Amino acid sequence: MRARSRLLAAVALCWLALPRPAAAVPLAADPTGTRTLRLVHGFWSLVANPREAGGTDSLVQASRPAPQPILPAGSDGPSVSLDDLSQPDLIESQLRTALEPRDGGIRVTVPNGSARLGDFSIAADESLTGHLLVVNGTADVFGKLLGNLVTVGGDVVLHPGGVVSGDILTLGGTVHDQGGEIGGEVRAFRTTPLLHTLVHAAPEPAPSALATVFRRGAGVVAVFLTLLGLGFALVLFGRPNLEVVSDTVAHSFGRAFATGLLGQVLLVPTFGMLVVGLILSVVGIVLVPFVVVVYALLVVVCGLGGFLAVAHTMGETYTRRRLALGAVGSPNSYRYLLVGLSGVAALWIAWAVFGWVPVAGDLVRGAAVLVTWLLATAGFGAALLSRVGARENFAGRLLPPEALTDEYLWATPQFGVTAARRPGHRTPTRGL
Amino acid sequence: MRRLVLAALALALGAFEAEAQAIRPFSTYRQWHGETRLGARLDYAAGALKVLPGRPGELYRMDALYDSDRYEPLSAFQASTTEVMLGLKSSGSGLRAASKDGPRQTAAVTLSPRADLALDVTLGASDADIELGGLRLTDLALQAGASRAVVRFSKPNATRCREASLRSGAAELTVLGLGNSRCDRIAFEGGVGRVTLDFSGAWTASSRVEVKMALGEITLRLPREVGVRITPESILASFNPQGLVRDGESYISPDYDRAARHLDIDLTTAMGGVGVEWIGRPVNSER
Repeated sequence: MRARSRLLAAVALCWLALPRPAAAVPLAADPTGTRTLRLVHGFWSLVANPREAGGTDSLVQASRPAPQPILPAGSDGPSVSLDDLSQPDLIESQLRTALEPRDGGIRVTVPNGSARLGDFSIAADESLTGHLLVVNGTADVFGKLLGNLVTVGGDVVLHPGGVVSGDILTLGGTVHDQGGEIGGEVRAFRTTPLLHTLVHAAPEPAPSALATVFRRGAGVVAVFLTLLGLGFALVLFGRPNLEVVSDTVAHSFGRAFATGLLGQVLLVPTFGMLVVGLILSVVGIVLVPFVVVVYALLVVVCGLGGFLAVAHTMGETYTRRRLALGAVGSPNSYRYLLVGLSGVAALWIAWAVFGWVPVAGDLVRGAAVLVTWLLATAGFGAALLSRVGARENFAGRLLPPEALTDEYLWATPQFGVTAARRPGHRTPTRGL
Repeated sequence: MRRLVLAALALALGAFEAEAQAIRPFSTYRQWHGETRLGARLDYAAGALKVLPGRPGELYRMDALYDSDRYEPLSAFQASTTEVMLGLKSSGSGLRAASKDGPRQTAAVTLSPRADLALDVTLGASDADIELGGLRLTDLALQAGASRAVVRFSKPNATRCREASLRSGAAELTVLGLGNSRCDRIAFEGGVGRVTLDFSGAWTASSRVEVKMALGEITLRLPREVGVRITPESILASFNPQGLVRDGESYISPDYDRAARHLDIDLTTAMGGVGVEWIGRPVNSER
C-alpha cells in the first residue's frame, strides 16, 4: 500500500513538473472537433519532436538571421505583389507559400520592390523607391521609403523624420510610430502562422544523436506517465469494466481484433449516417451537437480504455507467469497496468534510442507503430464486444448449464473465479 | 491514494484546458493628413464594440481581438473619397457556433474629431457602446441586428448634423443625449425590442423626429426646456402622454408655443407600449 502511494505521488509530481502554456483561456465549446484534432496533433508532436512544443515566437526571435537580401526567385518561382495591402489575409496566404525554403534558402520575387532577410534599416539620408518586404527582422525607417512596407516576424520602427509613403503591414509584429510620417494605412497583426514557416525556413544545425535520444525519450516517458495515470484512475473508478474488457481481449483476441478493425473502418460512415439521419428527421437537428460530442467521447473511451485493457492483459499474463515461477509480489491491476504499459513503452524507448540510426531507426519505429496499432485495435474491438465492460459474453466467464457438471461444481466455485479452459475444447459462449 | 489520483487527473485536465483559441490581435490606423471629411463605414459582425473620439493625430484607428478561424478584419481606405471601411466580417460559410464562455471578440474604434464625419454602422450579434460626443458628425446611419447597443452624445456635436437614421431588428437600443447631436432630422425604425430615446443635451436648434416601431417598448425621455409635440399613430399600442396636453391629433407640452426650440415627434407603433419620462427641473420649480 505504501509503495502504491509513493508511486502515485511520483506520478502527480511528474505532472506538476510538466511545462504548461502561460496564457490559459477558458475552454470553449468545440462542436467541430478542431481542438481535439489540435490536441492529438500536439500530443504526437510532443512525442515525435518535443523541441517544437516550446512555442514558435521565441524561436523566431532567438534565431534572427544575419541581415541579407532575399534573392528573386526564377520565372517559375514564387512572386508576391505588395501593390495592394488592403487584403492582408491574401498577402499572408501568398507569403506562406513563398517563404517555404527552396534550394537551401528563401527566394521570392517582389514586383516593383525588394525583399530582405533579417533586420533592415533605411538611413536618414537614404531614399528607397519601391515596395519592401522584410522577413524575420525589424525594419527601422529613419529615411524615406517610397512604397509599401511589409514585415513578417518583425516590427516596424518609424523614427522621427522617417517616411513611408504607402501602406504598412506587419505580420507577427507591431508598428512603433515615433514621429514619422505614414502616407497610407497601417495594419498590424501581432501574431501570424507564418512564424511557424519561418522557424522551419531558418537554417538550424541538426541536433546531435544524444539530444535526439534525450528529447524522444522524454516524450515517450511523458506519454507513458500520462497513460499510467489514466490507467490507475480507470482501475480506481472502473475496475470491473476494465477487467471484463481485459478478459475479453485475453479470451477472444482474434474476435476482438476483427471487431476493432471493422469498428475503425465503420467509424466515419456510422457517424455520417447518424448525423444525416438526425438532420433528415428535422426534429433531431437539435440533438446533432450533443450526438457529436457523445460519439467522440465514446470513441475516445473505447480506444483509450481498450488500449489500457490490453496493457492490463499483457501485464496480468506476465505477472502470473512470474508468480508461478516463484517470484514474490502481489498480483493486482495496478501492477498489471504498470507492467503492460512498460512493455509497450519498451518498444518506443527502443525507437527513442535507435531512431536516429538510418534505416534501422525507421524499422524500429514502424514496428512500434504496428504493434501499438495492433494492440489498440484489439482493445478497441474488445471494448465494443464487451460494451465497454458491461457484457461478459466474450470474457470467458459465463458457462452454459450443460457444462456445469456435478464434478465441476464440486471442484470449482461457481462465482468469483475465472473458469479454467478445458483441454481440447473452446469455452462455449452465449454468442452475440 | 484516491486523492492523489484525483489531483493528477485535475492537473491533466488543467493542461488540456490551456489549449488556446485562435484569438488574434489586429490593429489598423491612418495618420491625419489634414483631411476635412471622413466617410466611415463600420461593419461589425459579432462581439463587443466600442466607438469613441480618437487622437487628433489619427484619422481613424481600430484595435481588435478577433477569432481568426471564423472572422476576418475589415480595413480599407479610399483616398480619393476619404472613406474607410472598418470592422469584422464572417469568413466563409457554414455552421457558426459561438461560445458564451470562450474569449470574446472585441474592437475599439476611434475616429478623428478633426474631420467632418459621415458614419454608417452595421451591427450583427454584438454589444456596442458608441460615443459620438465631441466628434464632427454630419450624418449617422445605424443598423442594429440582434444586438444591444448604446449610442451616446455625451458632448455637443462639433458641427451640424443633417440626419441620424437608426434602425434596429431584434435589438435593445439606447440613444442618450440626442439633444447634443444637433441633427435636423432623426429617424428611428424598429422591429422587435426595447428602445430608449433620450433627448437630453444642449439644444441649439429645433429638430424633427420620426419613430416607427413594430413590436416593442419605447421610452421617450424628453427635456422640459424644449417644446415637445408628439403625434402618435398606433394600432394596438398603448401610449401614456404623461405631462402632455391634447392638441388635436397631437400631444404637446404645456409651454410648447413659448419654447425657443421645438422637438416634433411623429410616433407610429403597431404593438407594444410607449412611455414618456421627463428629464430636467420642472418649470414650476424655477418660479
